[in-house]
Amino acid sequence: MCLAIATGLSLLIPWTVKHAIDALAADGAAAPLAHYVGLIVFCAVGNGAARLASRFAIAGAAQHVAADLLARLYAALQTFPPSAFARYTTGDLMARATSDVSAVRSLVGFGTISAASTVLAFVGALAAMMAVDPWLTVWAMAPSPVLVLLVRRYNALVTTRTHAMQDRLGELSTIVQERLAGMGVVRAYTMEARAAAEFAGANAALRDASAELARTQAHFTPLMGLVTGLGTLVILWAGGTAVASGRITLGALVAFTGYLGYLAWPTVALGFTLALGRRGLASMERIQQVLGDARTAADDTAAGVAPEAAVRFANLTFAYEGRPPVLRGVSFEVRPGELVAVVGPTGSGKSTLGLLLARLWEPPPRTVFLGGVDVTTLPLGRLRSALAWVPQDAFLFSRALADNVTLGRDGLGEGDVRRAATTAGIAEEVAAFPAGWDTVVGERGLTLSGGQRQRVALARALAAAPPLLVLDDVFANVDAAKEGQILAGLRAAAPTILLMTHRLRAAQGADRIVVLDEGRVVETGAHAALLAADGLYARLWRMQRLEEEIARA
Amino acid sequence: MPEPAIHEEHDDVLGRAFDRRLAGRLWATARAHHRLVWGSVALFPFITLLELAQPYLLKIAIDDHILHADWTGLTAVAVVYAAVLGALYGLRLMEAFLMALTGQRVIHDLRARLFEHLLRLEAGFFDRTPVGRLMTRVLSDVEAVSEAFTSGLFAVVADVVTLVGVVAIMLWMDWRLALVTFAIVPVLFAVAGYFRIRARDAYREVRRRLARLNAFLQESIQGMAVIQLFAREAHERAEFQQRNEDYRRSLFTSTRFEASLYAGVEALGSVALALLVWYGGGRILDGALTFGALVAFIQYTNRFFLPIRDLGAKYTVMQAAMASAERIYSLLDRGPEVETPRATRAPAAAAGRVAFEGVWFAYADERWVLADCSFTVTPGEHVALVGTTGEGKSTCVRLLNRTWDVGRGRVLVDGVDVREWDLGRLRRHVGVIFQDPVLFTGSVESNLTLDGDGGRVAVERALSAANAAALVERLPQGLATPLVERAANLSHGERQLLAIARALVYNPAILVLDEATSSVDPESERMIRDAMARLMAGRTTITIAHRLSTIHDADRILVLHRGRIHEEGTHAALLKRGGLYARLHELGAGAALG
Repeated sequence: MCLAIATGLSLLIPWTVKHAIDALAADGAAAPLAHYVGLIVFCAVGNGAARLASRFAIAGAAQHVAADLLARLYAALQTFPPSAFARYTTGDLMARATSDVSAVRSLVGFGTISAASTVLAFVGALAAMMAVDPWLTVWAMAPSPVLVLLVRRYNALVTTRTHAMQDRLGELSTIVQERLAGMGVVRAYTMEARAAAEFAGANAALRDASAELARTQAHFTPLMGLVTGLGTLVILWAGGTAVASGRITLGALVAFTGYLGYLAWPTVALGFTLALGRRGLASMERIQQVLGDARTAADDTAAGVAPEAAVRFANLTFAYEGRPPVLRGVSFEVRPGELVAVVGPTGSGKSTLGLLLARLWEPPPRTVFLGGVDVTTLPLGRLRSALAWVPQDAFLFSRALADNVTLGRDGLGEGDVRRAATTAGIAEEVAAFPAGWDTVVGERGLTLSGGQRQRVALARALAAAPPLLVLDDVFANVDAAKEGQILAGLRAAAPTILLMTHRLRAAQGADRIVVLDEGRVVETGAHAALLAADGLYARLWRMQRLEEEIARA
Repeated sequence: MPEPAIHEEHDDVLGRAFDRRLAGRLWATARAHHRLVWGSVALFPFITLLELAQPYLLKIAIDDHILHADWTGLTAVAVVYAAVLGALYGLRLMEAFLMALTGQRVIHDLRARLFEHLLRLEAGFFDRTPVGRLMTRVLSDVEAVSEAFTSGLFAVVADVVTLVGVVAIMLWMDWRLALVTFAIVPVLFAVAGYFRIRARDAYREVRRRLARLNAFLQESIQGMAVIQLFAREAHERAEFQQRNEDYRRSLFTSTRFEASLYAGVEALGSVALALLVWYGGGRILDGALTFGALVAFIQYTNRFFLPIRDLGAKYTVMQAAMASAERIYSLLDRGPEVETPRATRAPAAAAGRVAFEGVWFAYADERWVLADCSFTVTPGEHVALVGTTGEGKSTCVRLLNRTWDVGRGRVLVDGVDVREWDLGRLRRHVGVIFQDPVLFTGSVESNLTLDGDGGRVAVERALSAANAAALVERLPQGLATPLVERAANLSHGERQLLAIARALVYNPAILVLDEATSSVDPESERMIRDAMARLMAGRTTITIAHRLSTIHDADRILVLHRGRIHEEGTHAALLKRGGLYARLHELGAGAALG
């Protein structure tokens, strides 16, 4: 609407100039010059205001659309299980959230403005020109079809060469990425010269492809000038003849020049707008793909009766996509109030148990039960509020330590944080930081050691006093004395614990120990019984004792 | 395509638009292409001349021919006009192409310099700097710098030339009318300046908020499991939405100023037009001005406004370019810490003797990994280094081929301190087989020829010594077989064999084997063991052992503990002694040491 007003007003300007000039020619001093001047200024201001309003409205709308899209994308990502994150890399998802969203923004914003003003400009300017002189309009538009064809061909060429250039850029990136990441190898084998030569080849190829593209793109601005110039030329010659023969006035001629100037940009921008549209649609498709992969959030509710803190694995066999099984026929249970430890060498499948219990990976139906209920039938929200799982690699956000523990959960006060931190054995260390619990973690903050990060993550799990605690090798970077102290505290703080560990000392005091080897349960029992059985557990135990001795030597 | 490096807030800081020191260095970089630069600069006056000719031809056509109904004269002017159009198209095309070409060449040169510089930097630098950040330097920062030439500096010069030309011709045609038109210039500058500064500040805010939004998003993706486990989706979504909304708002502010700038300038252009009609009209009545001149004036005024409007956009481009240049040069200024010394010393004989003399080493601060570590390996001897994880076994290798420099003490290879060796020679002399066989994309051959002058013969010899000749024959295109990223089209065992062959291309006198911890299939295992046995014959060999079962037949076993050699001897002697090694051996029965 505003755009139409703007177009109308800006088309009025050449018209006014025409009348002013004609009046000057006809009436001389009697011409109401001030009248025309006023009209021009009015049109200019009106046009500016209307154009601004339209720009605000459309760009604003586009920015809203993009922001909404990004919000939807984020919500979709929140429903992604780890398997989906394994399918898309972080870089890929970031690219979709950044460049694809902004391509859609350009499509909705700039694309709409450009398309609408092109149409309006053509309709408006053509109508105005026809009103002044139909015959001259035909003359003026004569070169247009040729121009449109030229611009289309030009755009096709730009697209092909852009692709070629991007391919070269991809090749160069791969070389740079690989050589920088494998710098140790490059150095050890004195491959520097070779790396430099390969880089030089790809670099030169990219330069040449870019130069090819530039050669094509170099036509753009001159083409604009040519389009305007040709129009002026036609008007000058055909229009000039008409003025000379008295068929039209000089004012009409000047107005025509103005209208043609007005049309030059839309003509050239046509192809540009089309390319923008294509790219925007392709990006939209890529975003839709992510949105389509979102799990339905229907089972998000935490309401309902919380399942009892009892875990049962029943003949569980599990394999990650396309790989051999990591768990084979695993069966055991954790009764309320028990501490059950799962031990075994690296790669025996301990961690997978936790991932399946928390349904970060989907277990086969009727193999994993919580409180007697198949976890695959439990709403995710209810399942996860019933247990606290602490993974091996503790992830901390670049926020204050306190925020990392509370994660913004309602009803968690300073007291809960302190209590959880004390149990997790991290309270003293945090208190020693200058900023205490306000210390920001991460790239721009303090770097914590692996052990510290694990204990903060443990505190995070403990803060809400969960009925069931699932720990995956969280004592890997903690010394034996500290480990014993934390474990003692944990038993008091959490009623039921499932502890996965490769450190047998931590498992020693468990009510039951499940020994896993290559995905199978090979032994089950209490520490003393397992030692007496003299199987894998006993062997592992002796080795670890020896290791400790050596470390102390 | 590379993953975009997003989490780099400091990369978003915009600095000054012009820094004389940086500009000087940039010019030095571009000097190699000074012909292109001057070539395009030389085109500016001609282009301006032709551009200015167009409205003037219009004036002649109107005043001398159209108003006198002179059809022949009009046609003549039209022909000249067409010629001008054609010439202008050609010249502008040349100008644009030359500018772009200059930009591309500068990018190319800077990239090459950066990459070659990175190749010389020491290992410590790469441990501290994420690869993503370096990728940004090599790939996008150089592009921003080239913008300084094409969209910044050149464009400003071209605009100034045009402006001067327009002003001159307007003054010449009718100085009074010109002055009336110029009366609007202060207003124009004020409007453009005001909105430009606002737009620039708004744009900075947009970048800052975008960086925050992206950082948050990236972290969410990485920590999504935590968010899901603690059912914090709604809370995080609200946090994200707040940043998303902040960004959108700043974007809108930026759009508002940007659009206001354009609209304001356009409106002022129309006001100038009104002024022309009003004052020019009066002067036509007085007979002081012709119709044609007025029409020409209107066109000149248009050409006058555009450069002033776009000046601000160029300012932003220059700012971004200077910030990028700053980052690039600070990387280039950082000299390598490990370098071939000016005066190198060559060993008397390249026999393959190694000696560590009281070596101390720490990766950071005073956390010593090696503390007063001493040992020697005589030519042809097979030595195994043993010790639990983190005891510095691999560190010894890094000091030996001078990936890192010792803190205290010295490392001698054939009697010469490694810091006095020519780096290239040293590394050809000491062949390392890494735990993880890293191969690069390219052909199998390009992975084996190393510095390129090894030649076919050396490659074939290395392949047969490494038991890998049959493997290469089995590949679809033999040596020319392309390897994809991470050599995923080969099995782990095959990669290992190729890596062994690679270490043999230079026929090194000293071979270091960092034993692989991950297992390969039994068939490959056997071939690898065979290959190793063959290539160890007659060579000084140091094995970093992770599994004790493989080192029974070493001439000597060195046990590293607490940063120094704790005990040494043959397998049997050490077992008999009943010390640390004996314990480790007991422990190692069946299990990996890590």
